[in-house]
Amino acid sequence: MAMTSARPFIKSRLLPGLLLFLAGAVIYLLFGSGVDWSQQATFGLNPTGRTEALVIPDLTLPVKASVVVLSLVAVFLGAWQMARGIRSSGLAVGLVAFAFVAAFLLWATKDNSFSLVGMLSSSLVRATPIALAALCGVISERAAVVNIGIEGILLISAQTAVIVGTKSGNLYVALIAAILVGGLVGAFHALMAVKFKVDQIVSGVAINIFAVGATSFVSSRFLEKDINGLNNSGTFPTISVPLLSKIPVLGPVLFENNIIVFLMMILVVVLHVVLFYTPWGLRTRAVGEHPKAADTLGVNVFLTRYVNVILGGMIAGLGGAYFTIGAVGRFDEVMTAGKGFIGLAAMIFGKWTPFGAFAASLLFGFADSLQVKLQILGIPIPSEFLLMAPYIVTMVVLAGVVGSAMAPAADGVPYEKN
Amino acid sequence: MKKLYSIMAVLLAAVLLLSACGPRAVDCSADDVYCVGQVTDLGGIDDKSFNASAWRGVQNALDDDLIASGKYLESQGQSDYARNIQQFLDENTDLIVTVGFLLGVDTAKAATANPNTYFAIVDYSYPDCWPGAVVGTDCGSDVEIPNVRGLTFQTDQAAFLAGYLAAGMTQTGKVGTYGGIQIPPVTIFMDGFQAGVMYYNQQHGANVQLVGWDAATGQGLFTGNFESTDDGRAFAESLMQEGVDIIMPVAGPVGLGSAAVCQETGGCLIIGVDADWYDTAPEYRSVLLTSVLKKIDVAVYDTIQDMVNGQFTGGTAVYTIADGGVDIAPYHDFDNQVPASLKAEIEQLRQQLIDGTLTVNGVLGR
Repeated sequence: MAMTSARPFIKSRLLPGLLLFLAGAVIYLLFGSGVDWSQQATFGLNPTGRTEALVIPDLTLPVKASVVVLSLVAVFLGAWQMARGIRSSGLAVGLVAFAFVAAFLLWATKDNSFSLVGMLSSSLVRATPIALAALCGVISERAAVVNIGIEGILLISAQTAVIVGTKSGNLYVALIAAILVGGLVGAFHALMAVKFKVDQIVSGVAINIFAVGATSFVSSRFLEKDINGLNNSGTFPTISVPLLSKIPVLGPVLFENNIIVFLMMILVVVLHVVLFYTPWGLRTRAVGEHPKAADTLGVNVFLTRYVNVILGGMIAGLGGAYFTIGAVGRFDEVMTAGKGFIGLAAMIFGKWTPFGAFAASLLFGFADSLQVKLQILGIPIPSEFLLMAPYIVTMVVLAGVVGSAMAPAADGVPYEKN
Repeated sequence: MKKLYSIMAVLLAAVLLLSACGPRAVDCSADDVYCVGQVTDLGGIDDKSFNASAWRGVQNALDDDLIASGKYLESQGQSDYARNIQQFLDENTDLIVTVGFLLGVDTAKAATANPNTYFAIVDYSYPDCWPGAVVGTDCGSDVEIPNVRGLTFQTDQAAFLAGYLAAGMTQTGKVGTYGGIQIPPVTIFMDGFQAGVMYYNQQHGANVQLVGWDAATGQGLFTGNFESTDDGRAFAESLMQEGVDIIMPVAGPVGLGSAAVCQETGGCLIIGVDADWYDTAPEYRSVLLTSVLKKIDVAVYDTIQDMVNGQFTGGTAVYTIADGGVDIAPYHDFDNQVPASLKAEIEQLRQQLIDGTLTVNGVLGR
């Protein structure tokens, strides 16, 4: 009797509890033990270059004491787990991960300072193209069309945006053009996937290769010859939402951005509502999970897929516009640098949901900007290793934390009507 | 399905056609017809940086009728290097210019196997092997190769002047730099920049800080690529958040992203590298303090001229501030804002660097 109940107890209570203890010890040993009690870390909480905003004092923390507190958080969680059991293991993992990252930051910033607000705000900006690419993936794959050509769509629409923007002198026209061109490439992919039932990976790869060749060609033949006439569009101004942007810390991060960042955040919400609370969303998911059943019930499978892939292309088009008219105002060859593929990873990590994909993109954005700050702080870790940070995060997250992510059942399978 | 494959085939053909551009071939095997081929590094031919600069040297030679044909092949990945070199060898190209440190091994292999073809490699020289390195894998050659001329640049001398200038011009007391990939042709800029800042501090008893590079520890700020202008934007923003107001990006076109954000916010000034960005990126003139010039075009042109005149020599050609191969560009729009005394100091430093009474390594203490 005692033996039979002990085993599940060990497995469900004791082992995770001990692991949490271990995490607490690791946090202290790595980041707390080598630090002197007097050392302090300073985190800037005010945005740079703006003095009229509400100034709050920077956050100065004693490193060793804070790390001790953080490691105690993990130990406390472990004790709680052993005594009472924690229902949400995700919460425990999340808290420990937070304690680990926070302790790491404290350790890296000892006797130094960096702008926390700046890092958070660049996390969001860096996450923008990734999130848009991920949303494109979500909406297409929910209708069971794999779109691996997102990277290509980003490139083509980035170039379209800068050319139209420079020629017309109106960035909004450029934005619409980029979205339309994104939709056009999406339509091509949909045609291949739905009508011709091509292997969707092949079609997506073709789009990527074509995009690199075509944009590089246009760039070297035309844009380079006439930079001011074709490749100098300027960028969207930063919009400060009145009042909201004055909130300390969160205000400058969330409410002082350019239009593409705002559109991205709105799209995340809209797409969530559409996918899960409208008839259209229900049909889309049905087409993705079991197209035959949907067809039997009178849902037009082909039309649904066309529309979703084209809409996805338009979202990716918006993402492409970010690179040029949203960021640097000019096009350079292969400037998207693989963000479309990271977007696909974010989509999987986010389990094919808009909010999940957004959160995953934020994580990549955070890893990206954290890496820059760490390099600036000059911590004794080689820069090459720090540059791997976003990708290590991807792998750890995909392999460990997420568990088995479930793709839509019919994902990537062409629908044959018979 | 068949229709589909034909569509794909047409698409692929289009891609191949688009990427294969260049002037029509001439008979390069003839003795008095000189053909030059350039193999680019990953940044592409119009990277505003060393590929573009080397190509300008080839084009100038074409314009002056020194050579009958000048072509380039872009490398999309590191596996393209050897293939692109072979392509030029197959066309009986007389001089193959390979651009960049990363082509070091492939160039040596091709040059050793084809002793009758001339090679010039930018930012590299032989012998390049260190003890224990495997020839052909880790490094190119453990001896000098007679048919290869390595073109190297003492860019730290020019960057020294830029660092001194930046330290004298900063309002916040912090200047910054970042690189593309941590390789010697990149870090040499950052070394010089740091030395310039340090020397300014010594001379003026100032305490200007450099963010983004420390020559003593080899720790610094790197994007890990030479392509993503968005990275350039993010890095500049991050540096500004830490109080930096003058940035020298050593990452080819990535730096243009930094220039864009400086122009947008008015919060920083840029020091260009390789070419004079006043000419190559005129849209950012209003934030361009100066540029650290590395005259690859001149070096390539010299090499072509030597080949045509039958005076090609292998080994290493080092370009320094003394021969004008490296320098800083005029201040252009900032000419009025740089104090006359600072200009005079920089002029004097240039002389000291030329006559050798001042060295970058001396200032860095190594």
